[in-house]
Order: sequence, then structure tokens, then C-alpha cells
Amino acid sequence: MAANVLSRELALRIALAARTLPDVDSKGLLAVLSECVDAPMTESKVASIALETFRKANGGALAHVDSGILQQALKILSNNAPDKVLPDTQAYQDGDLPNSVRIACASDDAINVNGHFGNCAWFMVYQVNAEAARLIDIRTADIPEGLVVDDKNVYRAEQLQDCKVVYVASVGGPAAAKIVRLGIHPMRLEAIASLADVIGQLQGVMAGSPPPWLAKAMGIEAPDRFKFEREAMG
Amino acid sequence: MALYIVEADCISCGDCEPVCPTQSITEGAIVFKIDKRTCTECEGDFDVPQCVKVCPIDNCILPLEA
Repeated sequence: MAANVLSRELALRIALAARTLPDVDSKGLLAVLSECVDAPMTESKVASIALETFRKANGGALAHVDSGILQQALKILSNNAPDKVLPDTQAYQDGDLPNSVRIACASDDAINVNGHFGNCAWFMVYQVNAEAARLIDIRTADIPEGLVVDDKNVYRAEQLQDCKVVYVASVGGPAAAKIVRLGIHPMRLEAIASLADVIGQLQGVMAGSPPPWLAKAMGIEAPDRFKFEREAMG
Repeated sequence: MALYIVEADCISCGDCEPVCPTQSITEGAIVFKIDKRTCTECEGDFDVPQCVKVCPIDNCILPLEA
């Protein structure tokens, strides 16, 4: 494997496929795949791997896995669907979307907010205002190989420091505290929801009466409301 | 002497409400608020104000001047 470089697309597919397999990470799957095909590993070679070869490779590493799951993994690897695994990101410059906030959503499939903060496949980073949302970046929760960090969750949160809110399906207590420390609001969803739904819901709040901290993040001063509140309190 | 909650920073997490020894913290119309008439800044109960201690946001709960 040593000098072979995977295409970005194939690497993403391997990462995605590994997520469908129990107890197998990308590295483990890569080991299996490198036995299934001759080097160099290409998309077309990987796409033509047969189920039985896949199952028996690497000393039967996947022998215990259900056939349906294996087939699903192979399907992801071969990427029968013509569209790409990840959506395209769009450029964003400050001021493009007025009164917007930047948010990150932890996702394992680039469709739903279903990721755990510490080990999701991606953080989908959006710039959102009341009318529009733009996918501006896709980041990973992985710690780069060889990089020694004091605290993995602090490192992950630091990668999202430009975001105001991070939506997750789950996050540990101590990790959440570290996220808050960096000025990011962790939002855990009660139930898995699609990225579109989560963004739509946020836009609804932004268009209505956003809570003060969100209004502040949007760059909206609310002197009128402060005045009103004071009058109400007497 | 009393503390107040900076409205623009409070995220309404509610962590401060149960730790107040004088039950001076309640959820207001927009964010949580401290009753300045009953807040003692925890004097007599604790060494440091408990709400400040548990609040996840820096400088969100401050002393009310005068």
C-alpha cells in the first residue's frame, strides 16, 4: 500500500463504507480492500470486488458480518449512484449573507444530523441567515495522524471555532463544556433530523424572535426589546 | 448587593436556577433573571456566588452596580 495515493473520492467512500460495518474502522477496511485488489487501488477495481472475496479477505476479518451489511458497504464503495458522496461546498465571503450565523452539524451521512461530536464522519459547516443557507465547508472530527493534542475534544471544538452553534445527535458532558468554553453553543437534537430540517428550523427562529444570544451572534442589536423588557419589569 | 444576568449572553440553560440558596433566580420572558431584592450574592451561604460558579458562559452573571 505504501506509496499508493487514494483518490479523494475513493478515500471518502472507504470512510463511508467503514461506517456501515460494525467494529471496522477505515484503516481496517483499507487493509481488507488492499487484499481484495492489486495495487494500485483504483475506484474501478474496488467497484468490482465480489461479495465472497470481500468476506474472506484479510483472514476473514469480515466473516462475521451480515451479508446485507457487506453488500451495502460494497455498494457504497462502488458508488453506483452517479452523484457524489459529498455535496459541493460554496465559497463564502464575509457580508455575503447579512445577519447570518455560521453553524456546524455533526453528520455521518451528509444528509442527517446524526453524528456524535467526538466521532462523526463530518462536520457540515453552513452559513445561515433567515432567508438562505450555504454549505461553505466540510470538516472532519478526526485528529490528523501524527498530531499530538492535549485534548481531542478541545482540538475538535477549535476546528469549529468560527461557528456559533454546533448541532449534534449526541455529545458527552465534558466535551459539551469544552465546546461552550470556546464560545460555541452545542445543540443536541432530541431525535435525528435531516440537515435541511435543522437549518429550516433555525431559519424559522432567526426570522421570528431569536433569543438574545442568537440575535447578538446575528449582529442584530435589540435596544427596543431591552427597553420594553425594562418597562415590563417596572 | 445583588447580581444580574446579562441578557445578551444568557443561553437559558437553567443551570443557575436550582443552585441559588435564596431562590432568587427564575425564568423570565426572554432569559433567566435574578431578583435583586432577595439576591445575597450567596453571602452567608457560600464563599462564591453559586450561579456564577455553574454558569457556562463567561461574564454572564455580574454584580449589579449600586
